[in-house]
Amino acid sequence: MEPNQIMVRMGELAVSARRGQLVALGLGSCIGLALLDRRLGTAGLAHVVLPQAAEGQRSLKFADRAVPELISRLLGLGARRIRLEAVLVGGASMFAASPALEVGSRNEAAVREQLESLRIPVLASATGGSRGRTVRVDVATTTVTVREAGGRDAELVAPTRAFEVAA
Amino acid sequence: MSTQYSDLQLDALRELANIGSGTASTALSSMLGRVVDISVPKARVLPFAEAVEATGPPESEVTGIVLGVTGGLIATVLLLVPPADAGRLVGILGVDPAGELAASALGEIGNVVGTSYLNALAGMTGIEMEPTPPATATDMLGAIVESVLAGHAVGGDVALLLDSALEVEGEDCSVSFVLVPDQGGVDLLLSRLGLG
Repeated sequence: MEPNQIMVRMGELAVSARRGQLVALGLGSCIGLALLDRRLGTAGLAHVVLPQAAEGQRSLKFADRAVPELISRLLGLGARRIRLEAVLVGGASMFAASPALEVGSRNEAAVREQLESLRIPVLASATGGSRGRTVRVDVATTTVTVREAGGRDAELVAPTRAFEVAA
Repeated sequence: MSTQYSDLQLDALRELANIGSGTASTALSSMLGRVVDISVPKARVLPFAEAVEATGPPESEVTGIVLGVTGGLIATVLLLVPPADAGRLVGILGVDPAGELAASALGEIGNVVGTSYLNALAGMTGIEMEPTPPATATDMLGAIVESVLAGHAVGGDVALLLDSALEVEGEDCSVSFVLVPDQGGVDLLLSRLGLG
């Protein structure tokens, strides 16, 4: 494992400013939601498991709990809310014949609904289908890559030179 | 529900997995006409975040066969087979691993093995367990396991993994078993074993 890699596992989220890489390995029906402040070189990643919490449930595995928490932690690192942009990865249906397991599309819809109500634009996405995916966010350059099983890393969001943009 | 189970309770769950996989190995053995060995099963209660990695490296490629369980116990039986081993298994049945029948042959193996596993559990606990038709996928292990866990994630944040492995003698091929019940399912199993 590379140094400064932060693994974001089921129901977890993490943020970082100008350093390290945020990674969610093997997303199936879950959504990896990255929020980027490209000017600041600051990013966060949430690994969303389910669409909606019931009353009293606070776990960050739910889209409606994770999205506000991710934003608030990014603002804590100095990110500007108006500059935040979203990238969605995952939400697949791994077992097409087993509808009971198909929370993928509901997860994606729930995350998009949260983003819309908070007026955060979606910059890029790699969602749906029936393949698992790994997402990596290189924080300093806010580069986002996605990889499917047996495939190679493909760029979803190209590197940004934060310092030049800021200058 | 509590997230902590006593050693005694975990032992009882492990014994349940042991008898279930014993019955499953007999079914697989008569289906393939080969001797099938079973490993000592593990019973683990883990937070979701750790449960995926407990089954293997998240990005490794694996073939997963899932059977839903309805009736008195809501659960999923997940069989994990390395893709090369899946090819060998269907090959023993005389099916071309690269042909279009391979997936359904594999589903049928999962069906026979998974159903006999469930029947053993049902017999010991007196809980009615109704398997749903199998579905298969070959993909990243993490993606397959987390999708199964997500299906049982509404009520809590921990997963019970009852896993055991079957090995087909002389063929270098193995199948591991994971039973993931709903949160209430663990307590139900334990209470039927007199350890609730």
